[in-house]
Amino acid sequence: MLKVIKKADIVLFLILVALGIAVTVMSLNGAEDGSVVQVSVDGKTYGVYSLNKNQTIEIKQDKSINKITIKDGHVQMSDSTCKNQICVKTGEISNTSQSIVCLPNKVMVEIVRGEAQFDAVSN
Amino acid sequence: MQSPTNRNSKFIATSAMFVCLALIFSYVEVLIPFSVGIPGVKLGLANLVIIIALYEMNFRYAFAINAIRIVITGLLFGGLFGVMYSAAGGLLSIVTMWALKKTGLFSMIGVSMAGGFSHNLGQLIVAALLVSNLKMFVYFPVLVFSGIASGILIGVVSYIIDGKLPKYLFR
Repeated sequence: MLKVIKKADIVLFLILVALGIAVTVMSLNGAEDGSVVQVSVDGKTYGVYSLNKNQTIEIKQDKSINKITIKDGHVQMSDSTCKNQICVKTGEISNTSQSIVCLPNKVMVEIVRGEAQFDAVSN
Repeated sequence: MQSPTNRNSKFIATSAMFVCLALIFSYVEVLIPFSVGIPGVKLGLANLVIIIALYEMNFRYAFAINAIRIVITGLLFGGLFGVMYSAAGGLLSIVTMWALKKTGLFSMIGVSMAGGFSHNLGQLIVAALLVSNLKMFVYFPVLVFSGIASGILIGVVSYIIDGKLPKYLFR
């Protein structure tokens, strides 16, 4: 069985693993607790909210509704009308390397840092 | 010696069988609760069929089998939206596998590993384009490793199965 594996396989394997580790390290370095929740719909910013204020945001589109809950410094997609529910299963996020994405409804929740980044606070 | 027409019809029949097999694998995969909450992490059982088609038949047949599988799977289980992801992943992975196989340097396992990796990469690129945000790449580390792991697994299984398949299917 082991004879099947060629030298090039191992080289490729090592390259891919090294790439994976590099990307992991890069994304971990960028992780820190953020304080601002940025919600975008279809690539455009929908609203910016404080992570320290408990609230529920409801995004209504043509056929879909997404509910985003901010509670005790964590954000989660509490409800979504999408079929796969991946966004809901993502759970709570709280640092800047994380995001919740609902592809069917094109809703994305990410965490950015710094109070100065408030363009507008919508309630 | 068979006539070219005879050989052609044999290939078409085998391709149809392979598409069915790939469809069943895709369906079985939906049934297996192998979800870790990250979109795109899966075994890729259907790739087993594609790799064997790529080795035993040729690129054109493997490509056709893959394309038909993606469209039908999308219509049956995933919805058309999912077809876009599968198509991007499937296209990138089959072209990568074909290119690596052509070099002659890699075994089936290496080819499959590259296929798993590039499949996930293709899906991620489409996801990043659709959401028009590079933040999608936070999934990248997980998808790199899961692509490599499932690719190797499928490669080993393909190799074993390929050795046991009756060769008259392809000749």
